[in-house]
Amino acid sequence: MNLVAGLDFSILPQQLVNGLLLGSIYALIALGYTMVYGVLRLINFAHGEVFMLGSYAALFTSWLLGFSPEAVRGVDRPSTWVNLVVMLLVSMIVCGLIGVLIEFLAYRPMRNQPRIASLITAIGVSLFIQYAGGLFLPQSPPPAISEQVNPYRNEKVSIVLKPAGQEIVAQAADATKKAAIAEKAYDDAQKAGAPADKVEQLRNDAQIASNDASRLQTQVSSQTSGLVIPYGQLGMLITTMVLMAVLWFVVQKTKTGRAMRAVAHDFDSAALMGVNVGRIITITFMIGSALAGAGAMMYATVLRTPLSPFLGVQPGVKAFVAAVLGGIGNIPGAVLGGILMGIVETLVVWLDGLVPGLSGYKDAVAFVVLIAVLLFRPGGLLGSSKVEKV
Amino acid sequence: MSTTGEKPVVLSLEGATIQFGGLIAVNNATFELQQGDLFGLIGPNGAGKTTCFNLITGVYKPTSGTIRFQGKEIGGLTPAKIAQMGICRTFQNIRLFPALSVVENVVVGAFLRHRTTLGSAFAYLPSSIRETSALKKEAMDLLEVMDLADVAQARSADLPYGKQRRLEIARAMATRPDLILLDEPAAGMNPQEKEDLQVTVRRIRDDFQKTVLLIEHDMRFVMGLCERIFVLDHGEEIAQGPPEKIRNDPKVIEAYLGEAV
Amino acid sequence: MKFWLVRLASLLLAVGFAFGLESVVGHQFPSIYRLVVLAGLYITLSVSLNLINGITGQFSIGHAAFYMVGAYSAGFVSKALFSHQPLVPQLWMIVMALFGACCAALTGLVVGLPSLRLRGDYLAIVTLGFGEILRIVTQNIGAIGGAYGMNVKPFGSPPQALWLVWLLAILCVAVCRNLLKTAHGLPFLSVREDEVASAAMGVKVPKTKVTAFVVGSAFAGAAGALLAHAETFISPDTFKMDVSFIILTMVVLGGTGSITGSVISAIALFAIPEWLRNLQDPVTKDPIQIPGPALVASIISVVIAVALFKAVQNRFHGSKPAKFGLYLAAIAAGFVCKLAFTPILAQAPGLAAKSFEASALRMVIFAATLIILMLIRPQGIFAHHEFSWSWVAKLFRRAPKEATA
Repeated sequence: MNLVAGLDFSILPQQLVNGLLLGSIYALIALGYTMVYGVLRLINFAHGEVFMLGSYAALFTSWLLGFSPEAVRGVDRPSTWVNLVVMLLVSMIVCGLIGVLIEFLAYRPMRNQPRIASLITAIGVSLFIQYAGGLFLPQSPPPAISEQVNPYRNEKVSIVLKPAGQEIVAQAADATKKAAIAEKAYDDAQKAGAPADKVEQLRNDAQIASNDASRLQTQVSSQTSGLVIPYGQLGMLITTMVLMAVLWFVVQKTKTGRAMRAVAHDFDSAALMGVNVGRIITITFMIGSALAGAGAMMYATVLRTPLSPFLGVQPGVKAFVAAVLGGIGNIPGAVLGGILMGIVETLVVWLDGLVPGLSGYKDAVAFVVLIAVLLFRPGGLLGSSKVEKV
Repeated sequence: MSTTGEKPVVLSLEGATIQFGGLIAVNNATFELQQGDLFGLIGPNGAGKTTCFNLITGVYKPTSGTIRFQGKEIGGLTPAKIAQMGICRTFQNIRLFPALSVVENVVVGAFLRHRTTLGSAFAYLPSSIRETSALKKEAMDLLEVMDLADVAQARSADLPYGKQRRLEIARAMATRPDLILLDEPAAGMNPQEKEDLQVTVRRIRDDFQKTVLLIEHDMRFVMGLCERIFVLDHGEEIAQGPPEKIRNDPKVIEAYLGEAV
Repeated sequence: MKFWLVRLASLLLAVGFAFGLESVVGHQFPSIYRLVVLAGLYITLSVSLNLINGITGQFSIGHAAFYMVGAYSAGFVSKALFSHQPLVPQLWMIVMALFGACCAALTGLVVGLPSLRLRGDYLAIVTLGFGEILRIVTQNIGAIGGAYGMNVKPFGSPPQALWLVWLLAILCVAVCRNLLKTAHGLPFLSVREDEVASAAMGVKVPKTKVTAFVVGSAFAGAAGALLAHAETFISPDTFKMDVSFIILTMVVLGGTGSITGSVISAIALFAIPEWLRNLQDPVTKDPIQIPGPALVASIISVVIAVALFKAVQNRFHGSKPAKFGLYLAAIAAGFVCKLAFTPILAQAPGLAAKSFEASALRMVIFAATLIILMLIRPQGIFAHHEFSWSWVAKLFRRAPKEATA
């Protein structure tokens, strides 16, 4: 095995990719936190719940597309990428609308009130959606469904970084061949109605051969360091990047984006300069929530997370930490923070080899990183900490 | 008055300089305040006057040079420590404690002379009750002097602008400083209020024996009040002396009006 | 002399109240006894958070962490020292409360230090993070039970802890009230209002902030220690982020900075879900069932009623009685809406057949109450006011006048 101080370096690249995937979801959610904070200076605690509703929107869409648990039981129905895109879009639209609705009903009336009051309202909305969701939404295992929905579940990109030694590969191939022969011999003997002790003997042989083969295969794969990225995850990464590029374009190049930046910079002045602040806030909530919706669809379908009304809490908190880590209110910061958070999380699991039991601290590490960063950069990685003018 | 004889030096700046990145906000400021001085610090916008105050009160640490207060080096001490040594200030953009009442604002200033411990307050011991009422009484007396006694129980945020400025001075006075720094005390006041303020500032100096250093934009106000003036422009001293001298100084005129007339 | 007599009388009153409560509640069901104990603990928690959050203005949202440190440190010591406690249980609990308070105060010191560098939301997330880190660490330490929790049974049976819990609550309220009554409270308030100006007035800002954290967390720690001994079982789940949020909500809902508000809203917010949990049909003793259409109709009509209420609050500038009438009208409109929507929604397939137990709805109702209260009274129930007898007197004096007018 390829172990150094208990660490398996051959799986490190794969772990980093996994971290990147998880991180890109965090980044999508963090963008919503950061954008809303940017314009309203409000920590939108309900954002994680919007994310949760997005994953349910994707689930229900997949049911409507004919992949409900009853419909797919025992049949292998083909799916196409169109289904995935429909799920993504529905999830984004539903989340966008929910975000706007929450803003309109709960946050708009609080606009001129102390910030802490809006914060409590946000906590209230978050609890409300969680528990009201608990009344109406089913706990659902999406993996079986997404297996069916995801047409690319068996296709993957494999990148070999360092192949295993020639010799062991040859041995493994040999052993596999032998195992197949032994298996066949056992099958034949069974069919031919050979004596019981003979069959038993052959069965043992086949067992030993297949054990040998799998042991050698494991050795080969542990010596090979490389990446396996299923098409679905690759698609998810590309989708995330496209969405972020679109967001960047909207914020930097359009009139609405300019207005958004103006409101984030100075709420009152922007209003005085003729920016329709209410409209900008609505749009911000819509975009931020839609991004969370996209993340939710991918989280449920591609990363195959079981759905529950409390699904949004953990990723929500982590994404919020990511947003603060990057510098809350700062859009590139949210992306950076999210990806960093994802990678750190998977690395901690990987480091479990070095420090046994470390993976139990996986959820705490996000906060440790955050506190460490904030003590040295009180405004986050990319944020500027404003020095108060006297 | 204060023109005759040498009096003890209260505050002295020697080559005090502060740099923010590439910008030199105050360069080589050197001046001296004697006991009982009424000293004006003037200069165009952005000349570094408030920065100078921030250096003296410990908000910023000087990059180089020394600041001495009653012979002791104070450059780099914390604002709280400097306030306890006897320098107190007001702020250009009023910084009261908005949700506290007027009298409470003043008690915060007087509180730095507290003797009782926090524990005695938690236990509500007679000593801390007595101290509280003594500090309150002291604050009320000061409000009386500053003509704010009638609004003592009002929230300080609800006061009109001019009274807020006076309250800031009262709050600073409550710390019983030897040196009081007033940052644009007359800003936003109407002529009548300004006249009243002039009287008040004189009283602070004459009746309470304080040394006063003030920043002001209104030339008439400064010229009519201060005995010595220090002029800053782009962080550097361009003139120093009594009002008559400053008024006729070509460099000062240039700084204020652009080209020499 | 008179002062000390009054002091003695009030001390006796406090102790008498605590023992009175103990003797009244002691005869009730254990479940009710437990609720009264927990209510007392929540008062301590919300008032002590109010010291940090409302009075000193340090936005801390990880208060459950201190509660947990107190509970685990005291619980661990009790568990380690005794399988069966020979001393007087109550005496031992006082010692343990002090010990828990010290441990939590140390934690508070550590958590308070970042407050010197961080402000507002950044400080909030750091305090939250500290809480989560401590909880996850606890989850991973086998010696204190890990994720499964820890049994603390130094006494054969759960001790009579109620009076101690309520004495702690009274002590916490008294300390905060005393602080605000004397000049020593002003630096805390002034730090909340303006740090720069406070420093310029000679207030030692860092010391004040850290003191608030230390004192606030010490009370939370003492509460935790009593919890560990009263409940005899603690687990990391008892101290989740939600608990911090609920304590914070108690502070804000009561009115940030108002001790009275914290006490009232701690009791109210604690009581609402518990009351709903045990809601039964008075005749059949079955849990109350709420049919789906009625529930959805209620949600819609509450939204409408609150919207109307807000509209009256913001747009109407007439006389007070007229405004009050319009408020009533808004609420009445909500009821009408509910009556109108219920039969319409009953037509919806799937919904009509559904019904929900009231106890399952309790968190939904809790959250809705929270949102509604914040919407119609953002400054909190008591705003920044405190309870005082003169205030009560004024209330009674004014009431008849308005009635005649």
